[in-house]
Amino acid sequence: MSFTRFFMPIVSLAALMILLFVACTSATPNPAPTNPPPPTAVPTVVPAPTATPSPTSTPSPTTAPPSTPTAVPAVTPTPTATPVSTAVPTPTSVPLSSYFEGVPGIVDPTNFGWPREVEGLNGIISIPAKPNRIITASVGHDEMTLALVPIERLVGVGSATKSLTYSNVAPLVQEITEISRDPETIIAASPDVVVTSPFFPAEGVDALSRLNIPLVQTDLMQGPEARVNNILLLAYIYGEEERAIEFSSEVRNRYQSLVDVTGAAEPKARILALTKYSDSIWTAGGNSTEGGVITAAGGINVAEEAGIQGNKTTNLEGVISMAPEVIFIAQPLAFGAEDFRQSLLNNEALAEVPAVKNGRIHLVESRHFTTLSHWNILGAEELGRLLWPDLFSDPIDYGFSLPE
Amino acid sequence: MIGVIGANALRSYRQSGVVTRLAASSSIILLLVLATALASLSLGPVNIPADRVASIVLSYIGLDFTAFTRTELLVIEQIRLPRIMVGALVGMALGVAGATMQGLFRNPMADPGIIGVSAGGAVGAVVAIATGITGLFFFALPAFAFVGAMGASFLVYGIAAAGGRFSMATLLLAGVAINAFLGAIVSAIIILLPDNGALREILFWLAGGLDSRSWEHVRISAPLILAGTALITVMARDLNLLTLGDDEARSMGVRVGLTRVSLLGAAALVTGSAVAVSGTIAFVGLVTPHILRLVLGPDHRVLVPMSALGGAAFVILADTVARTVIQPAELPVSIITAFVGAPFFIFLLIKNKRQVYSL
Repeated sequence: MSFTRFFMPIVSLAALMILLFVACTSATPNPAPTNPPPPTAVPTVVPAPTATPSPTSTPSPTTAPPSTPTAVPAVTPTPTATPVSTAVPTPTSVPLSSYFEGVPGIVDPTNFGWPREVEGLNGIISIPAKPNRIITASVGHDEMTLALVPIERLVGVGSATKSLTYSNVAPLVQEITEISRDPETIIAASPDVVVTSPFFPAEGVDALSRLNIPLVQTDLMQGPEARVNNILLLAYIYGEEERAIEFSSEVRNRYQSLVDVTGAAEPKARILALTKYSDSIWTAGGNSTEGGVITAAGGINVAEEAGIQGNKTTNLEGVISMAPEVIFIAQPLAFGAEDFRQSLLNNEALAEVPAVKNGRIHLVESRHFTTLSHWNILGAEELGRLLWPDLFSDPIDYGFSLPE
Repeated sequence: MIGVIGANALRSYRQSGVVTRLAASSSIILLLVLATALASLSLGPVNIPADRVASIVLSYIGLDFTAFTRTELLVIEQIRLPRIMVGALVGMALGVAGATMQGLFRNPMADPGIIGVSAGGAVGAVVAIATGITGLFFFALPAFAFVGAMGASFLVYGIAAAGGRFSMATLLLAGVAINAFLGAIVSAIIILLPDNGALREILFWLAGGLDSRSWEHVRISAPLILAGTALITVMARDLNLLTLGDDEARSMGVRVGLTRVSLLGAAALVTGSAVAVSGTIAFVGLVTPHILRLVLGPDHRVLVPMSALGGAAFVILADTVARTVIQPAELPVSIITAFVGAPFFIFLLIKNKRQVYSL
């Protein structure tokens, strides 16, 4: 065996891996664990064109937010708040179209007749008439839809929406037909319109389109204004413009009430969202649902600050390097949230992490922090009260208004 | 039995100059392992200067030369070092098992998955997660994965040896069938599981990785992996003879049936132990022995121990990349092993077409 044949492949392998490694690591410098930049502006909330009367929602039976940093909010949020009247909250002087202008997906914001067109991720879809049988195929869509239309019009939901662990409207939808990703289960429910997330299989979209069932794929984007736009678009699809104005105002007002307090609160806490599934530790960076909750609660998302976007796996060293002052675990207790919390508190290597040192690792209600709907506001309200309990005198309203 | 095999192995090593080749190749690959381990020890989201890392390592033998903080010590001792150790053990196991399976099957594309070890481990782990047993005690998940891995491999072997006559062709086909069957069980559990949290756990486990490995993982895997590796290493001469065919091996004094089942059992043992602590990490068992065979030749007396070291270096380096490339986030190590292993493997396949098929 020649010298070259013996050594070169080993050297090549080592060189290849080292080069790849050096190239990769040099592109991602260590995040600075200290001296965070000053917090940026409080998330902007664009006010509604005119003030609309805030609908009266009856607080559902709730429990006060946890007073200790370790408690899980022992709350059974009941979305069955007193239905509010949908009677014309819109001042007649303001044209209806002004509420819907600029909402992504609405093709002609001046058209409130039928048919009407919306632009989903799957193209421009014509809705021939006001849909009375609606199917929405994601938890976030379901939660917003139930805030917009009477429940009788929702004729199919996914299994996750029926789960008390993941859904904020589970108690309401137990009797509704459960649909799957198989288009046949959807067809069987004879929907007038189907609204899905981008993850609905393309074959299913094709199958339903061939049957002339209007299907709109929409993305549920992050951020309060995007959430309001989602509400307005869904309401436009359902022909519920007045309720949309009323409810979007409720959501905006509730969000604004929160950020009025948290935006001015100082100093801003450095917060890290963590979960752990099967030894993999996950965190939520920028453009994540939990990240949006942190921002709304007036905190600094240290994962985003460290360059993480979306939900990514991290490790204990990553937790140390990000040096959070507060950690929250948005994971159901049944999936080891408390064990994970204890493992963080008892890990000697983490002893100098401020959140561990001060015992500020909180278990929170995951469905408030991870859902892609207006129910995130509850998460932000809970987190805000954990961060600044003295600034909030009123208890959290664990419900949102419902249409008649 | 093992004593006789060991004595034969030692004699054959002395007679054929294998010791010289082993010394030369192992010194190089051992250096590679040490270099990757030291690099891995020095890199991570927490910035610890290299001199402090060296001082921490040397402090265990009383030779620390510069001050370091307690956090730095604990990061090295409790986070990086056990992870590197588990990575080394897993790489060692997969490398050795890959070399063994390729030799036994006389097929360079064979890997430990052929006898259902990985699929069996997956079923064990998935059942443990789906039934919630993982929450009861720390060892539950690795124990179930290990039992699944061993159970599957014994089932495959049992089918191949049914009727008192062992057939390698039947073993291969039984492996295909059992793999498909076990894969269907995993799919069925995933589809039918109503619990999204458990589903998430299953998917993350199946992706494989070395996140959050601790000294406990080292303790439960090291004895089995080291014992299995040692057994295969001392049986490497017989493995060489088996590659010539059963009749030739028998004529040279090899107890074919016993040797084969011992090698298969040892390969299943080390792979099952690795799968139990890391999930399924792709490509290591296939690529490492293959590359080393192209470099060192087909003699399993050299190839087996070098595959152990090479596999260790490969996994340590891949995991270091995985946990630092987008730090403080990290990637599954399987992505890195595939990204690095697959192109290099293809390059070698094209470059050495003729050698590939001569074991």
